[in-house]
Amino acid sequence: MSNKIAVQVDDLTVAYNYKPVLWDIDLEIPEGVLMAIVGPNGAGKSTLIKSILGILKPIAGSVSIYGKSYDKQRSLVAYVPQKGSVDWDFPTTALDVVMMGTYGSLGWIKRPGQKQKKAALEALEQVGMLPFKNRQISQLSGGQQQRIFLARALVQDASIYFMDEPFQGVDATTEIAIINILKALRKANKTVIVVHHDLQTVPEYFDWVTFLNVKKIATGPVKDIFNDDNLTKTYGINYKVSIHK
Amino acid sequence: MSSAQLEIQLIASLVAIACAIPGTFLVLRKMAMISDAISHSILPGIVIGFFITQDLNSPLLIVLAALTGVITVVLVEQIQKTGLVKEDTAIGLVFPALFSIGVIMIAKNANDVHLDVDAVLLGELAFAPFDRLLISGIDVGPKSLWIIGTILLITVGLLFAFFKELKLSTFDAGLAASLGFSPVAIHYGLMTVSSITTVGAFDAVGAILVVALMIAPAASAYLLTTDLKKMLFLSILFGVFSAISGYWVAHWLDASIAGSITTMLGLLFLVVYLFAPSKGLIAVMYREKQQKIEVSLLTFLLHLKNHNEENERHVNHLREHINWQKIRAKTVVDLALKNNMITIDNQIVSLTEKGDDFTSQAIDYIITNEDAQIEDMKDDFFLFRG
Repeated sequence: MSNKIAVQVDDLTVAYNYKPVLWDIDLEIPEGVLMAIVGPNGAGKSTLIKSILGILKPIAGSVSIYGKSYDKQRSLVAYVPQKGSVDWDFPTTALDVVMMGTYGSLGWIKRPGQKQKKAALEALEQVGMLPFKNRQISQLSGGQQQRIFLARALVQDASIYFMDEPFQGVDATTEIAIINILKALRKANKTVIVVHHDLQTVPEYFDWVTFLNVKKIATGPVKDIFNDDNLTKTYGINYKVSIHK
Repeated sequence: MSSAQLEIQLIASLVAIACAIPGTFLVLRKMAMISDAISHSILPGIVIGFFITQDLNSPLLIVLAALTGVITVVLVEQIQKTGLVKEDTAIGLVFPALFSIGVIMIAKNANDVHLDVDAVLLGELAFAPFDRLLISGIDVGPKSLWIIGTILLITVGLLFAFFKELKLSTFDAGLAASLGFSPVAIHYGLMTVSSITTVGAFDAVGAILVVALMIAPAASAYLLTTDLKKMLFLSILFGVFSAISGYWVAHWLDASIAGSITTMLGLLFLVVYLFAPSKGLIAVMYREKQQKIEVSLLTFLLHLKNHNEENERHVNHLREHINWQKIRAKTVVDLALKNNMITIDNQIVSLTEKGDDFTSQAIDYIITNEDAQIEDMKDDFFLFRG
């Protein structure tokens, strides 16, 4: 971890139909951390990621990636959406999905070629999915589909990785395989931000954590702030009562 | 075959190709009903264009109709966005409203224009060869052939240029947005192309049948392939096949060409739906039957694995122990024997080494749900094909 700030979020407010789902979020994510975003259902975890990536338009606030707007820094960022957000019956193969990760560097109109294919095959190898490269994606198990998504992000060779619940619906072996890859990314001084559900594994998997429930509760090193106090503030009954008023 | 017949088939085929391309993406985006909405609601655009130009083949008419098509999509999305009604309801609200405006406009001016509701709904392909395009007095072919040809050329050009973007934003709009390929721009691009194609096809097959040409070939192709390029190719092939065979059916029956083309599309889909190798009805039923037998086999093997007592493994007592009917028990024992998973010695059934391994592996898979364990078994057994 260095002193550089990879992602900075200032006064971010996001609303669906005028109902705020994220309220005045300030967040600094240092370069080289492996960070979990935790919070109850409806806390705005996915919304936060999507707003940083420009997929959702915030009603207030700003986001910067290494000091510049996301539009200028796209090539530094890779994104793994929730597995359930796409139709796995789509007529395409594992290799083709991974190739999609290269589209950003190609820009409009230009087609992927041998170079992109080679990069995609390497990424498949990295997640242990090379033998399945020509398989139709609906014929893959949940864990294999998640690995394909991870490979698609790896092929982007980014500096910052955003992942929306990469452990959802995967078997134990895949979970370990994924976390090992994420730890390797951190070792290479990449910044990895993960929406995470399983509180028990936070201290084992991550070194940085953000507690979120519409507002930001706390952010910092796991060893300093992952405690009962913050957990109660995020998930506790009192807090829920106060936001529904 | 006369030149008029040839021209009709050529027009019908070009219409089919022009419809199959956007249709494939509409089907994959689960937006089939949007094409129905567009095909109806462009009517006021056509009517207004016709009032201005007094020419059914004027480019202005196409522009106005396409604009109405895009307005339809915007209206549907705006109504849906309120959260008060779902998308299908929003579609059901918008297109009848626009369509009825068109119908009223035609009716009010029916006396002095050559545009009637029948022609709009069903088209009149048979008359297409009579309306010729003359360039400095020279006959260069039917006007509708030139119109649909131009539209097709533009569609194919756009498809080649933006194939990657269309694929990405159809499969994963979120990733497309984060990579800087605006899914909104691609969405409206597709809607504009669909609207323009609909107007071009309108003249030939009418508002109702253009929907069939967009959706049926793509839906049939979807059942046959797992590759987007092949799906596009098959959609086009099915479209052209229906266009030409439909023409000849109409010729022999002396019936409506548009109606016959659509009937062929329906029959084609039915055949594919029944006989498609992996997604077809018969294939699915066969697979389910196999799976049932294989679950039985596994149950049987597990029983053998769990019991060393000879009375539990006596071939005549197996039925009572597993509580199966005679035929099913025989099928399962035969299957196990065929695969060298059991041996029968003196009426006593025993697991072979292979049967024992298979059972452990299968049980392990069912408990852990880890795919790696059964990769090598997938080719032999339906049960593990997901």
